[in-house]
Amino acid sequence: MEGNNMPLVRKEVIVKNKQGLHARPAALFVQVANKFDSRIVVRREQEEVNGKSIMGILTLGAEQGSMIIIEADGDDASNAVLELEKIINSEE
Amino acid sequence: MKISEFLSEKAIFTDIKATKKEDVLKELVELLGNSGEIDKRCTTKILTALMARESLGSTAIGQGVAIPHAKVDCVSKLIAAFGLSRKGVEFDSLDGEPAYIFFLLVAPQDSAGPHLKALARIARLLKDKYFRDSLRSCQDEKSVIKIVTQEDEKKF
Repeated sequence: MEGNNMPLVRKEVIVKNKQGLHARPAALFVQVANKFDSRIVVRREQEEVNGKSIMGILTLGAEQGSMIIIEADGDDASNAVLELEKIINSEE
Repeated sequence: MKISEFLSEKAIFTDIKATKKEDVLKELVELLGNSGEIDKRCTTKILTALMARESLGSTAIGQGVAIPHAKVDCVSKLIAAFGLSRKGVEFDSLDGEPAYIFFLLVAPQDSAGPHLKALARIARLLKDKYFRDSLRSCQDEKSVIKIVTQEDEKKF
């Protein structure tokens, strides 16, 4: 839509968790992602998945040290990325 | 990583009778024990580890799918069991719906990598509604192995 500038926020994050983005952090990630109205996608290498789907996040198989990109599109995009980044940055 | 590398036909059951979370896990672990893939003495340990994991948050990830998993020191490689429930099981799933498809994963204590890869692999297959529906319509172990192997070949 022209004239309607929805902010797109993109952030590269390195997975800190020793076990990688396994089931528990993935569940937490989508739980938080679903609080936001923004469309959220997560990318790793060639793969792009819906950030609000746990199966999507698990599909990435992102191990410790891998780089993922969180992208949010919508009015609450910056807050969404900020909160989601915290989960990826957490070592728990 | 192919699913057929860690799931054997003997560890598949297409008519899980249990209706409670712990009983389903018990049934799946017994299945694993009877498959000959693990030391029978290991089953209690596995069940305890699985329950401990569930207490941290349900492994029922929605869409009728649960992937209970745990790490124990009494298995030497990643191993899986597969179960189908006809009636569905209340598993505190993330979307509140009952679970019908169970993919149990047990990994050695020190194996972050393969465990994550297996989860990724399973998620990739189960993300597909058509595949979930075909799994649920399987009447016996052979047909489960057949469609899993087909997918393994296709999307590897």
